[in-house]
Amino acid sequence: MDAGRWERVQRLFHDALDRPATARRAFLQGACGGDPALLADVLRLLEADDAPDSPLDQDLARVAEQVLHLDTAELPLTDFGPYRITRLLGEGGMGVVYLARREDLGSVAAIKILRDAWLSPARRERFAAEQRTLAQLHHPAIAQLHDADTLPDGTPWFVMEYVEGVPLTDYCRARDTSIEGRLELFRAVCEAVQHAHGHAVIHRDLKPSNILVTADGRVKLLDFGIAKHLEEAEGTVDQTRTGLRLMTPAYAAPEQIRGERVGIQSDVYSLGVILYELLAGQPPFDLTGKTPAEAMSIVVDREPPKPSAVARRPQGRASGHTSWGDLDVLCLTAMHKEPSRRYQTVEGLVRDVDRYLEGAPLEARPDSLRYRTGKFVRRNRVAVMATATVGALLLGTVVFYTARLARARNLAVAEAARTQRIQNFMVHLFQGGEDAVGPADSLHVVTLVERGIEEARNLDNEPLVQAELYQTLGTISQQLGRLDQADSLLSLSLERRQALLGGDATGVAEGLVALGELRIEQARFEEGERLIREALAIERRALPDDHPAVQQALAALGQVLQSRGGYDEAIAVQRELTGMAAGGDSPELAANMSALASTHFYAGQYDTADSLNTLVLAMNRRLHGNRHPMVAEDLINLGATQLERGDYPAAEAFDRQALEITRAWYGEDHPKTAAGLTLLARAMVYQKRNDEAKTLLEEALAIRERVYGPMHPTVASTTNELGNIAVAEDRYDEAVAHFSRMVEIYRTAYGGKHYLIGVALSNLASAYNGDKQYARAEPLFREAIAMYDATLPADHTTTAIAHIKLGRTLLRQRRFTEAAPETLAGYEVIRATAAPGNSFLRAARIDLAAIYDTLGQPERAERFRKELADTAR
Amino acid sequence: MPHRDPRAVLDVGEEALVLPPGDREALDRLFTATYEELRRLAAGVRRDDPGVTLSPTALVNEAWIKLADSPPAGVTSRLHFTRIAARAMRQVLVEAARRRNAKKRGDGKAWVTFDEALASAPAGADDLLALDAALEDLARLNPRQAMMVECRFFGGLDVAETAALLEVSEATVLRDWRAARAWLAVELGQGG
Repeated sequence: MDAGRWERVQRLFHDALDRPATARRAFLQGACGGDPALLADVLRLLEADDAPDSPLDQDLARVAEQVLHLDTAELPLTDFGPYRITRLLGEGGMGVVYLARREDLGSVAAIKILRDAWLSPARRERFAAEQRTLAQLHHPAIAQLHDADTLPDGTPWFVMEYVEGVPLTDYCRARDTSIEGRLELFRAVCEAVQHAHGHAVIHRDLKPSNILVTADGRVKLLDFGIAKHLEEAEGTVDQTRTGLRLMTPAYAAPEQIRGERVGIQSDVYSLGVILYELLAGQPPFDLTGKTPAEAMSIVVDREPPKPSAVARRPQGRASGHTSWGDLDVLCLTAMHKEPSRRYQTVEGLVRDVDRYLEGAPLEARPDSLRYRTGKFVRRNRVAVMATATVGALLLGTVVFYTARLARARNLAVAEAARTQRIQNFMVHLFQGGEDAVGPADSLHVVTLVERGIEEARNLDNEPLVQAELYQTLGTISQQLGRLDQADSLLSLSLERRQALLGGDATGVAEGLVALGELRIEQARFEEGERLIREALAIERRALPDDHPAVQQALAALGQVLQSRGGYDEAIAVQRELTGMAAGGDSPELAANMSALASTHFYAGQYDTADSLNTLVLAMNRRLHGNRHPMVAEDLINLGATQLERGDYPAAEAFDRQALEITRAWYGEDHPKTAAGLTLLARAMVYQKRNDEAKTLLEEALAIRERVYGPMHPTVASTTNELGNIAVAEDRYDEAVAHFSRMVEIYRTAYGGKHYLIGVALSNLASAYNGDKQYARAEPLFREAIAMYDATLPADHTTTAIAHIKLGRTLLRQRRFTEAAPETLAGYEVIRATAAPGNSFLRAARIDLAAIYDTLGQPERAERFRKELADTAR
Repeated sequence: MPHRDPRAVLDVGEEALVLPPGDREALDRLFTATYEELRRLAAGVRRDDPGVTLSPTALVNEAWIKLADSPPAGVTSRLHFTRIAARAMRQVLVEAARRRNAKKRGDGKAWVTFDEALASAPAGADDLLALDAALEDLARLNPRQAMMVECRFFGGLDVAETAALLEVSEATVLRDWRAARAWLAVELGQGG
């Protein structure tokens, strides 16, 4: 049959069907004319149409069942080493588990087999990941891995401890276990999970059926099938989502359901649900008969009733001091919708369980329950998750090494590649954007870094590993802004390496570069340059020119030269670096060219910067497509030169394009979008389009408030921009409101001592100054100066400007004697550093002339007037 | 959710599996998701629990949810995805059936079977391979019709969705389906 004939057959088939059954044959005989084969074809179709059993009437589910199940229900008897399969135990999303007997020892074990391994590498990888996870964990409450191999057809399998027991909830129900007994069992579960977290493993699928209790009352945690290494959990959202979809919604944390990044707090949530069920006798949400979508929305949006309200009677035997109030707080804190409001670690949860058992007050406060709903749910997500993940991972790394060294001392050193990976991961998290970690939220990380240092100190027997950890911790401290601590850690790490490896080792060079990069941040450029050059010399002797370490050192050298204003030298280095690249596009080349463009920009060579950035833009477009955030960065850089040239409409156009890309990529509610809005607003301010700037900034502000909550430093930086616009337009009440908020946020976020608090105070005071409320401005300027003195190096421009402003406030109050030393102090500093035409210098000269005139010192006044006249020429 | 680069909608009349080369990873994830949903479907049948048994539609829904944040390149809509998922399901099942038959031919090993009833179950694998081959034939006669069968049978699309996907009227879908249903019965030696 061909297509045309099939068309004809079908037409006749349908025409016949339109007629009564009795008339069809006669119709067809006429219609087919003299073509008996055609007639036969159509008649056969009509007959089949009448019959009930076309292959298409089959149920696809049944087809799948027949094809997929039979495929693996049959297994070879002999291919599992010393193990022989005896019966089917169960099946999960990934594998099927059999009971097996070990022939030579007579022991039993569970064999897990990946069905249909041929299907996809992703499944094989996930199966292997579970195996690796189990191999890493050694805890009495975690089923142990015994053996692993592959069948001849490629099917992977592994053998683990067989646990004979009943699910945790069934066990308690059957034995009518007391509340205390339940809490003790729960505590044992927590310890197993804690062990996993200590190895940077998140379980992600904690539920009663994965937690068995043996006849003698021991808890065993099973099924790390979708567990994830924290460093992998950093991966893309869709992978996490895949993980979620494999897990049971009843125990999944809201962020898992939403497909967001999971962390150790996701396990804390699941533990909370399990505890709830143990205490209340039923799960917090009734999801029976719900569609997946309904179940998901319940978990994400609905608040569970207090366990005490649900328990029809207290579960288990009556007990002495059962205090439902505390148990409610414990459960609901663990189950908080917002990860940052849960116990931040399983350890914290265990501590409160212990406190409860001892009759002591909990660490969790009931008032925290007030915050459970509404906008808080969306708050602080990025920062908190990143922080928690890094914190846990850091501890995990240290514990990992401690445990590991206890077992095999030398392995840790051999695993340097892995360390490098972990290290990169951690550092990247902190570099995830200017806004990724705010100081308030990083307090927690700070504590963890402290603990990490403590643990690392104990590794005296493994000085090389210790040195590596010190470097990691030092780099993190640097990211956290704790430069002193970073300094001592990085210096210590470097010394160790020099002592152990000898001065010429590439490991030493790596330490030199890390310390050099810190020096750049400390503005100790000469020393930074010396360190980096030393590193480069070592690497040049030992490594080929195109080695990544050499390139990294060269990039650092370019950076330090650029930072200290040695633009020509920086350009030479960065040119060399870009020249080394093999032909063709690469992200590294793009990054190096972009750095070179920045140096030209700072050197005022805008044309060169533009041509380089144009090349980078084209390359990034080829590498990533037109609408990638990297492309947006390049557009922003192109906009920056236009801004410098004073071509504000051109700058605006670039910033608009960048914003559109950023918005499309990250969505409305993302800090990057807020940053893009802020840049565009700046281009508007230059064009005196303050109203438009205001609209953009208000949008940015709303995003930052949604993402970070109202008390985050980035919110303050936005209100600062808005306050400056208000000052420029003489709307002082509005400015005072913006700057007051800025002060409050910085005070809260930085715990009372930070130079940004000084900036906020000083800006607030300036608004009062503009409004002629000098009595209000004066104490604020004084406080700002005190803050700068405590936080900034001596003779800092910022401090000097505050002195000049304070002087003006005093001058306006006609307190000339007090004004003179303030203005003069600021003037001296600024004159030494700033360009002659600097506006603050000008203001200081005007004020000083007025002050000395009034004080009856005309010669001095004349000196400043002369300077003013000189600079005016 | 990050918005994705809008890409051209691929012509639904295109016969090859509409995943561009180079998107190996997306394909991998698609097949994994599809496979897992099929397994759940099969497990429901095995437990003989009608409450648990999912329809193919629910199955595609699940696969879609799994991949919604990063669908394979070129996938632009829910319906378009269904079209691809249906193809993936067909391929997963056919591949499983082929392997099963290969294994049945034997490698001389002793095999253990845990469920006698299953061991003697009808040869679903052969039926599926025959259906697959017949659908290939139908695709040569009328590609749109074969695609429609794939979407409805393997992808669980209803009449309205199929009509929307193929950009034809619902009446056309019903007519094409009826003819295909009868034709496949004849081809596979049933009912004719």
